[in-house]
Amino acid sequence: MNIDEFSCVGKSVPKVDALSKVLGTARYAEDIKMSNMLYGKVLRAGVPHAVIEELDVSSARAMGGVACVLTARDVPGINRYGIAFADHYALAEDKVRYAGDPVALVAAETEEIAAEAIKAIKVKYRLLPVVSDLHEALAEGADRVHDERENLILHSKTRKGNIQEGFRKADVIVEETYTTQTVDHVYMETESGVAHIDETGMLVIQSANQCPFRDRRQVAMVLGIRENQVRVIKAVTGGAFGGKDDVTVEVHLALLAMATKRPVRLVMSREESLVSQSKRHPIEIWSRWGATKEGKLCAMEGRVYGDSGPYIGLGAFVVKKCGIHLSGPYYIPNLKVDSYSVYTNNTFNSAMRGFGVTQAAVAHESQIDRLASKLGINPLRFRLINALDVGLTNATGQKCDESVGIKPTLEILRQVVLKDPELKNMWEDLD
Amino acid sequence: MTETIGKTKLTFTVNGRETEVLVDPSWTLLRVLRESLGLTGTKRGCEEGDCGLCTVIMEDRAVDSCLVMALQAQGKTVETIEGMGHEHALHPLQKAFIEEGAVQCGFCTPGMIMSSEALLRQNTHPTVEEIKVGLSGNLCRCTGYTKIFKAVAKGSESGGRL
Ligand code: FES
Ligand code: FES
Repeated sequence: MNIDEFSCVGKSVPKVDALSKVLGTARYAEDIKMSNMLYGKVLRAGVPHAVIEELDVSSARAMGGVACVLTARDVPGINRYGIAFADHYALAEDKVRYAGDPVALVAAETEEIAAEAIKAIKVKYRLLPVVSDLHEALAEGADRVHDERENLILHSKTRKGNIQEGFRKADVIVEETYTTQTVDHVYMETESGVAHIDETGMLVIQSANQCPFRDRRQVAMVLGIRENQVRVIKAVTGGAFGGKDDVTVEVHLALLAMATKRPVRLVMSREESLVSQSKRHPIEIWSRWGATKEGKLCAMEGRVYGDSGPYIGLGAFVVKKCGIHLSGPYYIPNLKVDSYSVYTNNTFNSAMRGFGVTQAAVAHESQIDRLASKLGINPLRFRLINALDVGLTNATGQKCDESVGIKPTLEILRQVVLKDPELKNMWEDLD
Repeated sequence: MTETIGKTKLTFTVNGRETEVLVDPSWTLLRVLRESLGLTGTKRGCEEGDCGLCTVIMEDRAVDSCLVMALQAQGKTVETIEGMGHEHALHPLQKAFIEEGAVQCGFCTPGMIMSSEALLRQNTHPTVEEIKVGLSGNLCRCTGYTKIFKAVAKGSESGGRL
C-alpha cells in the first residue's frame, strides 16, 4: 500500500478530542456530579512507620451528615491489592508503612463535613524505627517494613560475556556512584473519580486512570465480588505519565459506594496527591566501565538499588529495567549488572515515564563522558564508535536486526555541530 | 430551607448573563463556578494560585478563581471558557489551539485560553516573549509549551506573524 492511500498514517490530523477540550466540555472525573452524591475523604497516616494501637472512629460516625466511616475491619474481601503482587493494603490494619498510608475512609453529605469527620477520627500510634536508607534496609537484622517478609523485593541479574576478560583489555576504567531523587509526575489533574451502583446492581467507577481492566480486577478482590460486577470507566484524564497506572482512588471509591449504596466522589487535594501517590524511584547506581585506548567499550559492571517505598506497585519491574538498560544504547561485549528493589518507609514509588531507564541514563551518559575525557576522544565521536547498530547484541543478548536509531540520531547531531562555527570550535575532532 | 442558612446572595454577570446564586461565604469563585453553576470547564489543580488551571477573566483581567472569594465577584463581570465560543463558532484562540496541536490531556487548556485572551485584549500583537510572560502563571505538564505559544500567536490579530 502506498503511503498516500492512508488517511492518517504519515499525515497530520487534528486530535479527536481537542474540540471538547478547547470548549471546556470534556468531562474529567472531577466534573461528574450525580444526584444524591456523597463526598469521600481519606485519612492518611502522617507518620512513616508505626503500630496502630488505637483507632477510634465513633465520634466521626456519630456526626450529622456523615454517611459512613470505614476502617480495615469493614473491608468485605481481601484487604490487599497490587498489579503484580498483592502487598498494598486498601486500609491499614495493624500498622502504617509510610506517611501516605490510608487509615480510614469517610463519606459525607458535603466536603466540609467529610473533612470535619476525618479530623474527629482518633488514632494512637506507637512509632517504629523508620527504614529509610537502602543499604540499612538490606543489612542483616534490619527492621522490616512487612513483618512477614524481608526488605529485599527482587534481585535481578543481567549477564553477558566475561567481565574479567573484558576489563583485562581495558586501558582506562571509570568507576562512580550516581544517585537520583524522588520525582512526582505532577499531572495537572489530581487523582479523582466517582463511583455509583447502577440500576442492575453493577458497581460503576469513573475515574482518572490508565488501566481500567487492571483496576477492576483489584477492586473486585478487595470487595470480594466477581470482576463482572465491577465496571471501571476511564474518564477523560488530565495527565498520568505512569502515576495513574496503579490504583489511586478506585478501591476507596468502591468501598464507600458499596457501603452507602450512594454515588460518591473522591478528589485528592494536591497535597494528598504528593504525599500518598506513586512517584519515580530514587535509584542508587554504582558502575564501573572499561574502554580501550581506541575508544571501544570492553566491559561494564553495575549495581542498582531502587527504593520502592512500602509497596511494590510496578517497582520491581522499574528497578529491573534500570539494570537491564544500564549499558544504554551502546554495545558492550562483557557486562554484569545486579539490580535490587527494596522496601522502605519512604514514599511509594512505581511507574513514571521511562520506567527506570531515565535513571539509568544519568549513569551511562555520565560514564561515557568521563571515559571520553580520560581518553581524550571527542564525546560525540566516542558515542558514535560505541553506539548499537544492526547486527550487534544489547545487554540481554538480543540481536538488533532492524531499525536501530541511535547512530543516525548522533549523525544528525554531528552535522548540526559541524554547521555551527562556534560549536565546531568547541568540539574539534569531528570531521 | 437548610440550604439557605448561612448563605449569601451573589449577583454577577457570567458569560454575559445576569446570574444570581446563593453562596457559602467561605467558598471560592472556582467552587461556585464548578459546583453551583455547573461550569466545569474551569479546572482545579492546586487551589493555591500555583497552576493557573482555574484562570477566568474578571473585569477584563485574568484571575486565579481559586484565590478569589466568590463574594468578591459581587456585581462583577466574569468570563469562563464556556463563554468563549461554541462548536460552530470557535474563538480564534480555540481554533488555533486545535490546529497547532497545543492540546494534549487538555486539563490546562481552558486556563491557558483564558490567560491568552486576557493578554490579547491588552496586547493585540504580542511577541513570543510577551506571550511567555502572559502565560507565566499557567502550568502545562504535557506539551512543553512551544505549541501553546505558537497557538496564541496564531490566535492573535497578527495571525501568527511574530
Ligand atoms: S487551582 Fe487555582 S491556581 Fe491552581
Ligand atoms: S495539555 Fe496536559 S497539562 Fe497541558
